[in-house]
Amino acid sequence: MSALKRVQQWATFARIWHVYDAAWQNPFHSAKLLKKYLMGLHKPIYHPLNDCGDHVIVINTGDIALPEDEWKKRAYFHHTGYPGGASWTVAWELHDKDPTMILKKAVYSSMDGNLQRRYTMERLHLFPDGKVPADLMKNVSNQIQQIRPVPKRLDHYSEQERKEFPKLIDYPKDYILR
Amino acid sequence: MSFLKLLTLWERCPTTKIGYPTRSLYLSSKLQLKQIEEVITDNTVTISAKILPSEREPHLLKNANPVVCPVCASGLDIKHTDVLILSQFVRSDGCMLPRRITGLCRKQQKRMSALVTMAHKAGLMPNLNPPNSNKDPKKRHHWKKFNKYFDESTIKT
Repeated sequence: MSALKRVQQWATFARIWHVYDAAWQNPFHSAKLLKKYLMGLHKPIYHPLNDCGDHVIVINTGDIALPEDEWKKRAYFHHTGYPGGASWTVAWELHDKDPTMILKKAVYSSMDGNLQRRYTMERLHLFPDGKVPADLMKNVSNQIQQIRPVPKRLDHYSEQERKEFPKLIDYPKDYILR
Repeated sequence: MSFLKLLTLWERCPTTKIGYPTRSLYLSSKLQLKQIEEVITDNTVTISAKILPSEREPHLLKNANPVVCPVCASGLDIKHTDVLILSQFVRSDGCMLPRRITGLCRKQQKRMSALVTMAHKAGLMPNLNPPNSNKDPKKRHHWKKFNKYFDESTIKT
């Protein structure tokens, strides 16, 4: 086996570590994307019995974005098993309690319920902010591109940028500026 | 009631208005559009107002087709995240300017005000808010403190 083929062999069967920044991303759209990397669906050697999934580190899960009023509309159901043990938690309450839970549940429910699902979830590493342990971060060799562009707040632009940005309208001469 | 509020009430009352300086003289000095100069020579006070050029003038886009409104003429697909554009249509307290000042067509005025509302709700223009409000969107209550985005196709025009 030539050196090239040997390296190709390693690269094919090695587990790759990806990093994904979830800031301002929809967790349900992100779940569909992350699932491909976790299950290895993006690889030509993919087979359901072939354990070829990659690791994904997701950072800033506390800063995920939901559309419009979905924070108070989406409910998470739980039942303790006892009579009267049903509970519904709204998305913002769940996110207050655990900022990684919404994304975790989104990825979990985006995959088919089979015996592999729990093991695939083991390869997903969620962090509410940018603080990732160094021993995980040193494995990372790829960054997954975000789905939505991250908006920039007006107060994060400099005064110069705001002043020199092309203006569509000007005030009338007699306008009292407020 | 604050002194300023009293002043404005005083101003509104038509009977007390005689001999009182006009409103425009009051507010414009702060904004530097019309500068007020007060010259005191012995026993006489001369107050004069001078119109200064607008800060926007050098950066103003030329309306290629003056028949239509500036937004229609620009042909831009404005999103609620384009805060540098949307902030041109609001006051310093984040309130949308009326149509007689923005000079937009009916459709665009309605669209822009919907976009401004979206940008405010998403916390993208926290510095354009009433002075007594909480500026940091992360310190809002309940669901309002979390990031949200909007679909512009939901705007009915």
